[in-house]
Amino acid sequence: MDTLRTQSSTTPSRTFHVNVGRLVSKLLVYVLFLVLAVIALYPMVWIITNSLKTDIDLFESTWALPKEPLWDNYQRAWDYGIARYILNSVLVTSVTTVVTVALSTMAAYALARFDFPGRTFWFLFILGGLMLAPQVALIPLFRTLVKLGIYNTYLAMILPYVAFGIPFNTFLLRSYLLGLPREIEEAGLIDGAGPVRVFWHIVIPLSRPMIASAMVLQAMTAWNEFMFALTFIESDDLRTLPIGIMSFMSTLRSEFTVVMAGLVIAALPMILVFLVAQRQFIRGLTAGGLKG
Amino acid sequence: MASLGLSRWRKYVTPYLFLLPTLIIMIVFVYHPIVENFRSSLYNWNTFSGQENWRYVGLDNYRRVFDDPIFYTSIKNNIWYAVISVAVQVCFSLGLAALLESTLLSRFSSSFFRTVLFLPSVLAVTIIGITWMLMLNPSTGLVNQVLDEIGLAAVKHTWLGEEGTAIFSVIGVSQWQWTGYVMILFIVAIQAIPHELYEAARIDGANGLQQFWHITVPGVRETFLVMTTITVIGAFKVFDIVWVMTAGGPNHASEVLGNYLYRVGFRNDEMGYASALAGVMFLITFALSFAQIRFNGTMSRETE
Repeated sequence: MDTLRTQSSTTPSRTFHVNVGRLVSKLLVYVLFLVLAVIALYPMVWIITNSLKTDIDLFESTWALPKEPLWDNYQRAWDYGIARYILNSVLVTSVTTVVTVALSTMAAYALARFDFPGRTFWFLFILGGLMLAPQVALIPLFRTLVKLGIYNTYLAMILPYVAFGIPFNTFLLRSYLLGLPREIEEAGLIDGAGPVRVFWHIVIPLSRPMIASAMVLQAMTAWNEFMFALTFIESDDLRTLPIGIMSFMSTLRSEFTVVMAGLVIAALPMILVFLVAQRQFIRGLTAGGLKG
Repeated sequence: MASLGLSRWRKYVTPYLFLLPTLIIMIVFVYHPIVENFRSSLYNWNTFSGQENWRYVGLDNYRRVFDDPIFYTSIKNNIWYAVISVAVQVCFSLGLAALLESTLLSRFSSSFFRTVLFLPSVLAVTIIGITWMLMLNPSTGLVNQVLDEIGLAAVKHTWLGEEGTAIFSVIGVSQWQWTGYVMILFIVAIQAIPHELYEAARIDGANGLQQFWHITVPGVRETFLVMTTITVIGAFKVFDIVWVMTAGGPNHASEVLGNYLYRVGFRNDEMGYASALAGVMFLITFALSFAQIRFNGTMSRETE
């Protein structure tokens, strides 16, 4: 470092000066991002390595790699019933995602392509859902679900998820539809196809990329949802992964390494989906510019 | 226009057929609950009392909110949450995004760091919360051990168990989870800035910092405003990470509004009072959302 600095001051060549400065900033930026990457990744690495140890080893040397991997922790975590939670999450997430995106696409089509009185009003009506904190609806929703007789059923999660997912997805799909040329749809209408056929055979195929992005984002939201699942479900059999992991944790509180194995199992599905569908994630969230 | 092949009747009725399921679901599960919440905040009731046993108390529940010290603790924590999140998730991540999009990093390392920093935001809050509980725990804890190793033993704490550190530990974990997410949004915004602007600035001899202030910052202005308001609104809605990591403890020190109303309603079974807390929360988040719309004008432009 010091030699570099003296050199650059004795040789005032401008390009050389700039290059040294650039080299130093390059180095600093690499160091900064390496540190951040370690901070982002190490907790996950730590959980994985320690999930393969005994509790005693965990307390003795939290840094060390497991002496020999103890797969038994995974067996025990699995036996606790994680499969059940995963299955519930898959069911609730897939039904929620399909229904939300289907209804949102329909609504977006109506709002983007029909000129009818009240169009702006209904758009704002739907979008207004984005402004509402779900907590505000929590207590009345609880009563409504009890009254409808669906408290503590899968529907107690699915219906609120759909209702709270529609505003964002409609917004996303409507913007996308507004950006598409209308000519093909108009040609379809002139050829005598009704709006339903135009929707099914033209609008949906044209919107496929945005529908895919909306589905990925909606699935991520539903998969991770916590508050409604905590409040509207009573029986362990129906719990989704985020809540199941909580009860798993409180049952096995003292067996840290088994809990860690459970966390790894629980995290895997989402990480795999993310690595496969990265582009859809990014496209969807940038189109909407929203976060959970 | 789509009206081309359609009769008058079909032109007006068809859109409603497409909208109908959405409108029904939103009325039942979004709008009806808001109205219902305001009604139920005027009564004292619990889960076991039938409708006929609701006791009308007028605005008493709201008066109680403003006399409740835990309410003020919650609001204070929500504000901390907002301030720190704006500083880290919005301002700091904008800096990170600008560095990743600069020529200082190779293309490969730039996309590698991008993916790695984004990764925490796809994990469920429970998984993240429990992972960090284990890391902040003094006996299993990684965090205190790291502090030991790097010579900062003096700042060791029982992070989640002390009144002074609990909420800040939770807020810190939130930053860990979301900074990479906001960073990606900024990266996309930066990529939309015309490249020629940077080239012209370079020719004029502007250094990296000058380019950042005079081209990048104005170029992402809109994204910046939207992210700031969304982050602030999010800070007043936060529930799950706090519930998982501290449940508001110790001794209510890390309570936030969303968390407190859940406890009052579903643990203490004082539904009327919880509804009043929800009512206050509605007013706060509504005012913030409204300010966002006025401020950014995004929605009005959308509807024109």
